[in-house]
Amino acid sequence: MSELSIVEKVIALEAVDLFKDLRSNQLARIASIATETAFSPGAVILDQTKSLDALYVILDGTVEIATPEGASTNASQNDVLGAWALFDAEPLNATARALDDVKLLRIGRDDFYDLLSDNMEITASVFSTLVKRFRRLVEQR
Amino acid sequence: MHALKRFWRSLFDVRKGEFAVTALMSLYLMLVLFAYYILKPVSRAAFLNKFDIDKLPWLYILIASIGGLLAYLYTKVAIQTSLKRAIDFATIFCVAVLVLFWWLLQTKMGWVAWAFNIWVSLFSVMLVSQGWLVAANVFSSREAKRLYGILGVGSVIGAAFGGQFTAVMVYYLGKTEDQANSRLVLASAGIVILSYIAYRLAVKQSGKNLGRAKGAEQEEDFSFGDILNSVRRLRHLQIIIAIIMITFMVDVMVEYQFSAFAKQAYHGRNLTAFLANFYGFWLNLVTFVLQLFLTSFVVSRFGVGGTLQIMPVAIAAASLGSLLAPSLLSTGATRLTEASTRYSFNKTGMELLYLPLPLELRNRVKAFVDVFVDRFGRGVGGMLLLLLPLNAQQFSIVVLILAGIWILLSIVAQREYLATIRKRLELRRLDFDSSRITVSDPATIAMLERTARGDNPRQAAYAMELLSQSANYDAGPLLSELAGSPHSAVRATVFEVARNTQNKTLMDAALAEIRNVREPDASRAAPEAVRYAIAMSDEPVEIARRLLEHANPRIPASTLDALATRPELASQVATDDWLKAAAADVSPARRALAAQAIGVRARTETGENGTLFRLLNDPDPAVAEQAIRTVGATANRELSAAVIRSLASARLRGPAIDALAQFGPKIAGTLGDVLEDESVPLTVRRYIPRVLQRIADQRSVDVLVRALPTKDLTLRAAVLKALNKLRDAAPKLEYQAKMFVDQVMDEAKYYLELHASLSPLKSCKSPSSATCLLTRTLDTRLRATLERLFRLLGLRYPPQQMYAAYRAIDKRGTEEYTAAVDFLDNVLDRELKRALLPLLDEDAILVQHARDMFQIQVRDIPAALRSLIHSGDRWLAACAIAASAELKLSELAADVREVGASSGREIADVARSAEAALA
Repeated sequence: MSELSIVEKVIALEAVDLFKDLRSNQLARIASIATETAFSPGAVILDQTKSLDALYVILDGTVEIATPEGASTNASQNDVLGAWALFDAEPLNATARALDDVKLLRIGRDDFYDLLSDNMEITASVFSTLVKRFRRLVEQR
Repeated sequence: MHALKRFWRSLFDVRKGEFAVTALMSLYLMLVLFAYYILKPVSRAAFLNKFDIDKLPWLYILIASIGGLLAYLYTKVAIQTSLKRAIDFATIFCVAVLVLFWWLLQTKMGWVAWAFNIWVSLFSVMLVSQGWLVAANVFSSREAKRLYGILGVGSVIGAAFGGQFTAVMVYYLGKTEDQANSRLVLASAGIVILSYIAYRLAVKQSGKNLGRAKGAEQEEDFSFGDILNSVRRLRHLQIIIAIIMITFMVDVMVEYQFSAFAKQAYHGRNLTAFLANFYGFWLNLVTFVLQLFLTSFVVSRFGVGGTLQIMPVAIAAASLGSLLAPSLLSTGATRLTEASTRYSFNKTGMELLYLPLPLELRNRVKAFVDVFVDRFGRGVGGMLLLLLPLNAQQFSIVVLILAGIWILLSIVAQREYLATIRKRLELRRLDFDSSRITVSDPATIAMLERTARGDNPRQAAYAMELLSQSANYDAGPLLSELAGSPHSAVRATVFEVARNTQNKTLMDAALAEIRNVREPDASRAAPEAVRYAIAMSDEPVEIARRLLEHANPRIPASTLDALATRPELASQVATDDWLKAAAADVSPARRALAAQAIGVRARTETGENGTLFRLLNDPDPAVAEQAIRTVGATANRELSAAVIRSLASARLRGPAIDALAQFGPKIAGTLGDVLEDESVPLTVRRYIPRVLQRIADQRSVDVLVRALPTKDLTLRAAVLKALNKLRDAAPKLEYQAKMFVDQVMDEAKYYLELHASLSPLKSCKSPSSATCLLTRTLDTRLRATLERLFRLLGLRYPPQQMYAAYRAIDKRGTEEYTAAVDFLDNVLDRELKRALLPLLDEDAILVQHARDMFQIQVRDIPAALRSLIHSGDRWLAACAIAASAELKLSELAADVREVGASSGREIADVARSAEAALA
């Protein structure tokens, strides 16, 4: 399978809730630091014992997310793994494993920080989404 | 001897460089008051000589209403202009009106006496109040606390001489009383001209630009609703307003009684001479003595409440005399007591009573009081004089009743004052510094001392700062005590206050503080202790050298900070050898120190550019950051290019922007060259506008306007934002109308081009297709273009209004939208209207506008995509290429190939996969 072009990456990123308020040209900047990565069936994508350093967007395939308590759920195309990893290095309290051939878009935390520091509008928009999400969580409690 | 010196200094603490301007300002105020105290007795005597005493209450009411209205209107007009213009205008106007009254007073027409009295009340607002406003602009609030005493002496001398001059000259300046009065008025016009000369010399000497100051005291806007709400809520305010009302009601009644007896005793020129002597000489002399020798003693001894009680108690006592033994002597004594205590004790007491209020509320209430309450009080006083069937003697009973209420209010005022102070102190929201009076109320001082010794470190430090602002307070014992406070914030404030007050007793404590500092101790006290030790030591070089080698990097950094204010020591401490070694040290902290030291030494030394250049390029960002700060602090042009390059680094961008802004207007040209140089990376150019927006100068505007037509949309948006910010900060700069209209037309054309390309693509169905991504991108671009257009309009029209219109046009179909379009239709110039309003029409009509205005033809999908592929906008081109492939438009293959070959990697990738799909 050939590497995604920047336009295809932007279309994939548009589906990510964290970036939903960004304009397409701003997403293009994120796309420029996003790299594709693939996992075979059964491969561990996120290990609950290891700290996170990137966010993943599922482009193709299905991923099982299992907690130590035994609960599990499946994630598929356009779902995001480790959204908080961009802001917090703590390990995810779950393990993500590829159920079939999985293709992901990876955005490294350091690259993302550099991008944010260069683009105030992106920073503002991402923060705005995070605040809305946080408010929703508070309201649900 | 020492006490005498201290007393003298407390009265006349004029420092080096302040003598000439203080003398000239005193002369200016002296002459203004001289003129005023000619007019005041002449006007009042002219009225009393012409009319019966029962007409006087009507004069009070007219002065309160018409005079008040005129004063209010004048203030509103003056605030729109600069202080310089207001003074120029007021002088010419006053001289002209005085010349007019010189003539009118000779005509013996009855109404002239009424008009003249109202005019004199306006003269006081125009020239006397404005004179003090000039002083407020010439001196800072700290200087004012030292120098206003001298200006006060000048004004008292002016008033006394004015009164004496009138009392003597009224007998010599004409054969009749009217002739003498008119000539005195003419003399006052001459003195106003002399005062203007003194004012010009004073301002020239001060070097201050009054062209930037407002022409009237910037009074807070207030609405009755707001004030009434505040009054309802705050007991403190209720008391202030009640006291002021009573003060002015009593003022009017006491003056009435005095005038009645004066009229009985004197007539004609004798009355003028008597009033001139009384008001000009005796009243000012007594007020001056009370203010100079007694007020601060009374405040520090009896507090706010006690100070406020003096006036009603004294008036009550004097009025009792007027009631029991009515005569010119008793009513004159009452009037003298009333006016002199009002100008001294009561004025200071009221200022203190205002003090604990939040600054904004304080200003609003003062404005409300100045505009309405005092005039309302006088008006009510006038009405009572008219309505109550009492003679002049019997009005003493009313005054006694009012004085009784007033005394009770003063007692409550003291309690409220302390309660409010306590509340504000807890919130750390007391603002003594903005006040022009000195806080010496014993209860307040005691409360501040208690807070400074308390458990809350922030409040304690705050209380310490406030105490240090109280000029007559000896902070020494408290400083010694609190130098051992467990809270570093308190100790930091202690060292800071001790340094500012030249208290040398804390050297051991400071050295102990430095000795005990441990890394990574974030204590605020150690840096302050360093500054204190260097400032107070008899061997500052020796001590600074030792501190420069301290193991904790904060100590050497604080040492260099301290040396920045004593550049004569810098080179002796941070020697050439030290600098060389520090700049080459393996420790980044030492290299950062070297960079800082170059800045400190630069005030006396030059020629360290090579070292600083190396430090600017240091691999450690903390070192580079310090080097950038040094370049900024010293405005070193030779190294500005290196700082500009740092704009590309996210880590160094903030300090680089700060440093470049510190260069001021002289860097604008260089920044302009970089901004327009397409060979410079966009990551640098994008941040140049952020620097220029901080330099409010015409050169910044010119450079930004020249860069406006740049093709890069991000850069253009940054340039516009910077121009908008500059417009906010410096609305008087020129924003080049010609270029402006061209740019609006270009943006309008671009908008219609985008729209022409968007129209055929709007039918896309799948949101995750490249074609839909393209339509979304075009839509975003249209909005961004509209935003730029409104930002442009904000450069010519009021920015707030343009912003409101921009927000409204986003709500198509609503009343707000219609109102915004109507507003733009009415406000915009014809040319701009023709460019902008068509863009706000329905989509279907836009196509027609595009053809009519710019000959942009309707496009089909291939034509639209072709135009976008060649648009030069890289992201639009990438989306258009992907859409071409998705729609299988093989006729665009050549265009895709051509643009793909000449673009960067990302577009080339998109073009390559598109070519494969189209093959």
